[in-house]
Amino acid sequence: MKKLRVLLVDDEIMIREGFKHLFDWEAHDCLVVGEASDGMEALAQIDSLKPDIVIMDINIPIMNGLKVIQCSRAKHPEIAFVIVSGYDDFSYCREALRLKITDYILKPVNYEEFGTCIDNLKIALFQQQSEERDEPGEERPIVGITRYLQEHLAEEISLGVLAEEFHLSGQYISQLFKSEIGVNFLAYLTNIRMEKAKKLLLSTGLSIAEVSEQVGYGDYRVFTKVFKKAEGVTPSQYRRDFLEDSK
Amino acid sequence: MLRMEIALFLVLGFVAYSYFSAEKKFSQLHSTFSMLLAVVLCHLVFDGITVYTVNHLDTVPLFLNNTFHRLFIGTMILIFYLFYQYIAILVEEETGKPRPLDGLARVYLVVAELGNMLLPIHYAVTPQGNYSDGIHVTFCYLSVAFYFLLGTGLLLFNWKEIRKKEKTAIAIACTVELIVTTLQGINHTWLISGMGITLITLAFYLILENPDILRAELTEQKMSMLYLKSQVNPHFLYNTLDTIRIQAQLNGDKKVAELLMHLVDFFRLSVKVDRAMVTLDDEMELLEAYMELMCYRYPELQCEYDIDPNLGGAQVPNFIMQPIVENSLLHGLKNKGYRGKVTIAARRVGEDQLEIRVQDTGSGFAPGKLEAVDKMLHFYDRQPAKLTGNSIGILNVQKRIKLLCGREYGLWYTENEFGGVTAHIRLPLAEESK
Repeated sequence: MKKLRVLLVDDEIMIREGFKHLFDWEAHDCLVVGEASDGMEALAQIDSLKPDIVIMDINIPIMNGLKVIQCSRAKHPEIAFVIVSGYDDFSYCREALRLKITDYILKPVNYEEFGTCIDNLKIALFQQQSEERDEPGEERPIVGITRYLQEHLAEEISLGVLAEEFHLSGQYISQLFKSEIGVNFLAYLTNIRMEKAKKLLLSTGLSIAEVSEQVGYGDYRVFTKVFKKAEGVTPSQYRRDFLEDSK
Repeated sequence: MLRMEIALFLVLGFVAYSYFSAEKKFSQLHSTFSMLLAVVLCHLVFDGITVYTVNHLDTVPLFLNNTFHRLFIGTMILIFYLFYQYIAILVEEETGKPRPLDGLARVYLVVAELGNMLLPIHYAVTPQGNYSDGIHVTFCYLSVAFYFLLGTGLLLFNWKEIRKKEKTAIAIACTVELIVTTLQGINHTWLISGMGITLITLAFYLILENPDILRAELTEQKMSMLYLKSQVNPHFLYNTLDTIRIQAQLNGDKKVAELLMHLVDFFRLSVKVDRAMVTLDDEMELLEAYMELMCYRYPELQCEYDIDPNLGGAQVPNFIMQPIVENSLLHGLKNKGYRGKVTIAARRVGEDQLEIRVQDTGSGFAPGKLEAVDKMLHFYDRQPAKLTGNSIGILNVQKRIKLLCGREYGLWYTENEFGGVTAHIRLPLAEESK
């Protein structure tokens, strides 16, 4: 898999240093190719480096992060932006969602958990590609597997189950995930479960326990924990925040 | 007539006692009022004496009569000057504009007092009673009118910028001044100046200077000082802490980084104090950050949570958990060298209530302490406004719960069977948090 090229934008050098050194880019098939400390510099770097991912602080000098995204979106629609925002800039996030940001994370950044964010990007990238590449003929095994996962979210799923269903070895399937999407199987599964959970939370009135069950968590306590780790808020907070925002 | 002066003196004497014994903020307004009270009391004494002497012209030597009369009128002019001064300071406080007429008022005061000392006094003798007339008294009326015009002018010119309460006080003062002076001018034998002065002083006292207002001012002042102390920009604080955290992690010190992360979390969460109600999840997040830090400081301290996750969205008053837990640590577990456990549980009670329990395995209440705490929490609204001390935290929690959720909810303590105490918080469960 091709290495993803990353541009870091933050006006605080320490935060850029943190990103550079505290997160294992290598292990996530990424490479930091540049840094920028203000809006203008970020625009120039995006144009010249053409990164795949831009980690973008919102509150930066000269031109704020959202403006930078707006300006470069038109020229480079394929770039994934990850917004890093202070907790109190949450109103920005709402705007960010309108700009179709791929993901956002809150400061203070927990570098060890930043991997989840990169995994999410890769999965989004993969899903986007498989939608576009709707070619006829022989279907790639990974597409079938991911479709199967999507349809059987509520059930207990493991590599073993998949192996039986698709007559492939568990190890091979695991490698498929790594090579085709760039994330491991469990990260993928958790990601789509959380995506489904978010959809259910916002579009239905199901209780947390019911949502938990529908996305394959028998114990809603576990579900709440996993959700919190992935989204930074608990399921009920997530639902409430969104409802408040849309008022 | 002497009886009226005695009654007025007693009334104002009582006012003065209550005013001087009250603790108050130091301000120009209050010191002017203090001076006014003192001068008015002296004036009423001279008033009483004069009422006697002027009606005994044949037995009291003229020299004494004149002296007391000049003292009586002298203090009266001083009082009207002070009335004006008080109104002027009040208007200045309200409008923020300087007092341009002060110089004039002071110059006139000197002129008036000189006139009072030097002008000849003439006494009119009538069957209804004696009084003074002539140039000396005319001059006195002139002085009252002068200060009356200054005060009224200030009020009318700044009418829109003065708040209702202050406006009322000034208007009452001016009206009483006008009515009493006019009546006295028409009926020379009424001798009601003392009554007018007492009424004006009482109006100021009741509307602007009463003990409740003084206490409120004082509390506000102390609060604003406390507030100032906490004015270090919290964003600056936690951004800096975050920078230190990253540096620590870059240096390979994971433990320090982790601790700083909790501290940053704690500050970040406690910055959200502008909301009265938050979710139980928010409260627990703050509490967890706090407990992580405490447990690190005291490794033998343990913390256990048993929160019904369906209650995560329940609305609770902001910042109620941390003070209660802190209280358990400081008064229960500290005595045991921070060896022990705090269990925090939240569960639904009945259909529409929520109970949070903070149970510790600390040293428990000293004999009689539970009753004292019970009493304090029960009569939470009658506790003197203390700004420091141990119980301020839990008292504050109790007050906010009662205020925000209703009087039937609140905080109470029980003793555990096997040592330690449990704090119970009972709250309403809003409809949306199912």
